[in-house]
Amino acid sequence: MTTAPIARPEVTAPGRWEFPTPTTTRLANGLTVHMYDVPGQYVVAARLIVPLSVRWEPREKEGVISLLSRLLDEGTEQHTTEEFTELLERRGIALGAGLSDGGLHVDLDVPARNLPAALELMCAAIATPSFPEKQVGRLVRTRLAEIEQERASAPHRAAKELAATYFDASERASRPTAGTIETVKGLTRADVADFHRAHIGPTHATLVLAGDFGDTDVSALVADAFGAWAPLPRPVEPELRPALRAPDAVRIVLVDRPGSVQSEITVAGPGPDRHVEPAWAAYPVLGFVVGGSPNARVDAVLREEKGYTYGMRASFRPRRAGGLFVTAGSVRTEVTADALTLLLGILDDARAGFSQAECRDGVDFIRNTAPGRYATADAVAEEAAALVLDGLDLDFTTTNLDRMAALTPEDLTQAYGRFVTGEWTIIVVGDATAYADQLGTLGRGQVTVVAN
Amino acid sequence: MPLDYPIHERTLANGLRIVVSPDHSVPTVTVNLWVGVGSRHEVAGRTGFAHLFEHLMFQGSRQVASGEHFSALMAQGGRLNATTWFDRTNYFETIPVGALDLALWLEADRHGYLLDAVNQANLDNQRDVVKEEKRQRYDNVPYGNVMRDIYATLFPEGHPYHHPTIGSMADLDAASVADVHAFFEAHYRPDNTLITLVGDITPEDGFAKVERYFGALPARPGAARPVLGQLPPLAEPVRLDVVGEVPNDRLHFAFRLPVENDQDFLAADLALEALGGLAISRLVRRLVREDQVANSVQAHAMGFVDGVSLGLIAIDVAEGARATEVEEAFLEELRRFLQDGPSPAEMEAALAQSERSWLTALAAQDERADLISHYGLLHNDPGFVNTLLDRLAAVSAADVTRVARQWLAPSARAVVSYLTPEKAQAA
Repeated sequence: MTTAPIARPEVTAPGRWEFPTPTTTRLANGLTVHMYDVPGQYVVAARLIVPLSVRWEPREKEGVISLLSRLLDEGTEQHTTEEFTELLERRGIALGAGLSDGGLHVDLDVPARNLPAALELMCAAIATPSFPEKQVGRLVRTRLAEIEQERASAPHRAAKELAATYFDASERASRPTAGTIETVKGLTRADVADFHRAHIGPTHATLVLAGDFGDTDVSALVADAFGAWAPLPRPVEPELRPALRAPDAVRIVLVDRPGSVQSEITVAGPGPDRHVEPAWAAYPVLGFVVGGSPNARVDAVLREEKGYTYGMRASFRPRRAGGLFVTAGSVRTEVTADALTLLLGILDDARAGFSQAECRDGVDFIRNTAPGRYATADAVAEEAAALVLDGLDLDFTTTNLDRMAALTPEDLTQAYGRFVTGEWTIIVVGDATAYADQLGTLGRGQVTVVAN
Repeated sequence: MPLDYPIHERTLANGLRIVVSPDHSVPTVTVNLWVGVGSRHEVAGRTGFAHLFEHLMFQGSRQVASGEHFSALMAQGGRLNATTWFDRTNYFETIPVGALDLALWLEADRHGYLLDAVNQANLDNQRDVVKEEKRQRYDNVPYGNVMRDIYATLFPEGHPYHHPTIGSMADLDAASVADVHAFFEAHYRPDNTLITLVGDITPEDGFAKVERYFGALPARPGAARPVLGQLPPLAEPVRLDVVGEVPNDRLHFAFRLPVENDQDFLAADLALEALGGLAISRLVRRLVREDQVANSVQAHAMGFVDGVSLGLIAIDVAEGARATEVEEAFLEELRRFLQDGPSPAEMEAALAQSERSWLTALAAQDERADLISHYGLLHNDPGFVNTLLDRLAAVSAADVTRVARQWLAPSARAVVSYLTPEKAQAA
């Protein structure tokens, strides 16, 4: 028996959605606290943000803040490394820390019933870490090993070369956030402790909490746990200035890995930060339309038509001040020159404009995925923390989505053309001898080959 | 803590199983289909085929153009993909609830009528894409093929888990359109599929909608082969030393474990967690923080259905340390663990961390739907999401010790070491 096919169903448009609004308090020591009660979320996510900048690191001690962040769960003035680790894990607490362009973030996840103990331990980690000598030495060596691991990974190697080529050599952004072999190997406990003493305090810091709080008085818990964190004598905030692009950034750098079966291609140009006027709204849409799906302009050709790649992605990557537009992905070695030529053509031709259908699909994708993307405690806390790190108001997510709804294809074209000028910084990590000559004839700037 | 995610089940006349789990916290719904086919069903000469087939599911079907499954759902605010693993292939999308009918219509069209659209051109194109995926994720990555080597070392030749899901380049080259037809006919049957809906719907609505789009898919005869009997632990150690382009030495100790639905699998899982999966685990404490001969230690269990599961401990050897000495220290700690069992702190932390990661996994509709499908399709127990924590809490330290002695003995280890050329010479 055969049945007649069922006709394609219609879709009902979703209603307007808003990112949740927190309850906000401020402790006497300056710590701002945003609390998002998200019913049904049994794991509470806590994100503590301390604004700072790697520009504050002395040149010869670059990486000290990353090292500091990795030492925060290694013991406190009250507890040895082993005691502190056990206190965390016996309560099901995950504690980590990292560094972004806007500052230091300490991340904690814990089943809701253990939140009181978790907040005490989180405060101890940030306010009174002990930086045990033995673990400082270990984490220095771990970073040195990590540098070798990153050298062996094509995407990491490409990111390092992009920073070095794109940014002016005078900029901290041109060098690895977590430091180089030369700057890391000499770091000491005193370096870390001195930096902590001078720069880590509650005055400009923010704590974001999200989860199912039930009847818990979270505000009181936070006050108990963080109230005694003493402010710095002279609190400082990072300066806001986009990193300068290098005068010779428009060129091609080939990182040579003889015998590599693939070429990791990165194409970068300038982009905005999220404070851009008239609005950031166009840029996530542009990323989607140009290179955010298998049917976006880049993969429609390079993946679905040519079969050159598993997938390449384009996105505008905002920094705290300024930003980048980056397209990256890998292709098999034999087609490197053809793939790069096609890719640059797609990126440049997009300046001619975007269609109504592209605009609508891109806007609807980003707007209508939002409720699901921000449904968990973890996602809500991450988003709020990202807003804090970027110095944005907490209603930014909602207002940005509202502005996005009004975008026209002309708005997209204008927003794209404002930053995309065809002046690309191009990095290829792979077997350089297979394509160096071909890339030299593209007219995209001088070709330099560097060792892996 | 007791969990009570609602679970409503129904089976259609054609054999398709449906699970609906309402969650009205967000105006979205996740559609998650598990098909009971994976790389364990592949035959010699066709490794990697289940995954290549999964790619073809996005290249059009009777009423859907190539690429349209992605573009039509993304344009509505859908997040979607598919993955292939040893025991299953899953297809999933999370969409605004108003697009649920469209999502089910698209899924039903490809799960019922894929073959109308399969042709040599889209097979050739996706074969190229999959080969790039293999290069990107495995061949062009340091340590990228280590799992392939572990499967081949731990499981016997011809065993369903002896080869990795990504397969081999030669076998991908050999795949034909006729293979696609045969594979679809053999495995993509309503009675070999389970669909889970999690989100802003009622059970009645969910069942009715699935029936509307999938009810007409013809029941097709087909039988799954019975799963293989349990593989015993290795009788003596086996090892594979790989010398190559890696930044530093890495040791992998792999063990056969009971199948996933055996209660002893949970005890084995906790044993691995206690041994090396936590910051307070004895291996991490000694090798990483005290002796500092390792940069990191990782341990976890991978549950399978076809006669065996896998336990893995991976140790990244620190600069200046010798792999042979690190292995000796590992064995010493392992023997002590088998002798004494987990410490109270290790046991408590293993349970506490398992609880947090399970609750985290269930926090989002999409991952929750995937776990419901997992236990529904492979173990006929979609409600497992609500009972795992109680089952874990019922595992005693004595259980962990007993199971560790049975399955994690030093003599039962497969060792796969990746060594730098200099280190290999010095050893």
